[in-house]
Amino acid sequence: MYEEPYKWVEAVGNRRTYLDEQFKEGAPVVGVTCERGILLMTMSKGTPKLYEIYDRLGLGGMGHPADLEKLRFNLLEMAHVEGFNRSASDVKGGRLVKYGMAPAIKQAFEEVFKAPFIVKILLAELGQKAGKDGFLTINYDGTFEEKSQYAVLAATSAVEQKMAGYLREQSLASFADAVGAAIRTWAVGDRAQRRALDEGEGHDEARTSPDQLATDTETLYAYLRRCIAEKTVECALLDRHVQGPSKYRALGVDELKALLPNELSPLLS
Amino acid sequence: MGMQSDFYQLLKEQGYVFGVLGQVARGQELTTATTILAFKYRDGVLVAGDRRATAGNMVMYDRTDKVLEIDRHSVMAIAGVPATAYEMARILEHSFKYFRRTQLQELSFEGKLRALSKLLKDNVPAALAGTGAVVPIFAGYDFEQEAAKIYFYDILGAEFEGVDYAVSGSGSPTIRGILHYVNTWGEQPLSAMPEEQATVQALRLLTSAAEFDSATGGVNRDAGLYPVIKFITASGVRTMPDAQLKPLFEAKVSRHV
Repeated sequence: MYEEPYKWVEAVGNRRTYLDEQFKEGAPVVGVTCERGILLMTMSKGTPKLYEIYDRLGLGGMGHPADLEKLRFNLLEMAHVEGFNRSASDVKGGRLVKYGMAPAIKQAFEEVFKAPFIVKILLAELGQKAGKDGFLTINYDGTFEEKSQYAVLAATSAVEQKMAGYLREQSLASFADAVGAAIRTWAVGDRAQRRALDEGEGHDEARTSPDQLATDTETLYAYLRRCIAEKTVECALLDRHVQGPSKYRALGVDELKALLPNELSPLLS
Repeated sequence: MGMQSDFYQLLKEQGYVFGVLGQVARGQELTTATTILAFKYRDGVLVAGDRRATAGNMVMYDRTDKVLEIDRHSVMAIAGVPATAYEMARILEHSFKYFRRTQLQELSFEGKLRALSKLLKDNVPAALAGTGAVVPIFAGYDFEQEAAKIYFYDILGAEFEGVDYAVSGSGSPTIRGILHYVNTWGEQPLSAMPEEQATVQALRLLTSAAEFDSATGGVNRDAGLYPVIKFITASGVRTMPDAQLKPLFEAKVSRHV
């Protein structure tokens, strides 16, 4: 039935609608560069969403845990075989995404008889020098974007734009500033997604535009206090200053408590 | 469906072959690396190695690093054919990283020992043919036992725990006797020595090995060449910088030789 082109286009369109639905309740992901390195931040219930991929590569994901796991393993396999056969310096996020991950996700998305990957991926790459850090985001249809200062994942592009707009205005002078900015940006995104869900407007991006939602710090902290009670704050750092080749490390509760704003840190356990 | 955690297996599935059988051509001398040692001191394990690589009676290189950090808590010291040993170290390094990143937990110390044993076993044909014999020492911090440990291997892959110390390489017969003597009848056992005293002991041992074994490189003060000395504790692997080795050597070792 999909031999006719217009039916194939229709099937792909249906698939896009189906996939958009799957992300409505997903947790946003924030990645931001700072003096210490690249900070990745999200909140999760049970299944982690931030991972180490290679010496200077970290991953944040949204979507179905099994699909995320499959793609994470593919990335790990590609990165480690390349790192062994050539060198760690040849393992580049751009190559992994452009010639490995993105084509596979696009193919799965367009093969309408097979299940697509229900994932959005943010790959963060710590540069050899400050100022050379980078991000790649991949959508469920295989389209990818490269960014330098920060990158976010959220249910819709409208929410992502709102998060990016908020993050642009924040100070990232110290590491604690970056952690505070990242968690507030996460709240901006998650709050916008919740509002869209509550209002049942998730299908139409124009109508779900969250521009009218307040983003003052007090409102965001009140929202975050509720989220922290239900979820786990996940924070990882590609640490520029750590000794040895592997730069990725997850931030523990004690370290996070010391870095988070006073309004939130007592809630961590 | 497997656990998808074995990097070495993944390499083999992609056509990689380790330990290829070869034959040494008549008159051909292979490069080998020489004296390595490890012993338990007060805070953990000290691992040290001289810097010389030889081929027959020719010195090939005097800046060889034979004490290789495999991960944040493990070190492999190598004696034997460096080409094979470095390849083993690269496989181990990637295997441990791959395990940690896929399984979201560190490979156990026992698992790390077994990984090296498997590589040595696969290397047996090359070792027996004379093209790739490696006799390593593996030391690391065992978080399950909360102790730094030392293991040494034979070329067939059998592993043995060095309860107090382990040695390998052509200069090892000399220092094995000294280690036994110092540990048994010295003022204090090796395991009670603080870091500085342990470092002096390692420098003296390698200097003694160089005295009696031409394939072991001693300290070359003119070139600023000192042995590689690393410490393994619960907080990780740390290298003693040459800037710290130099005054210790001047004060506690050189005046005796």
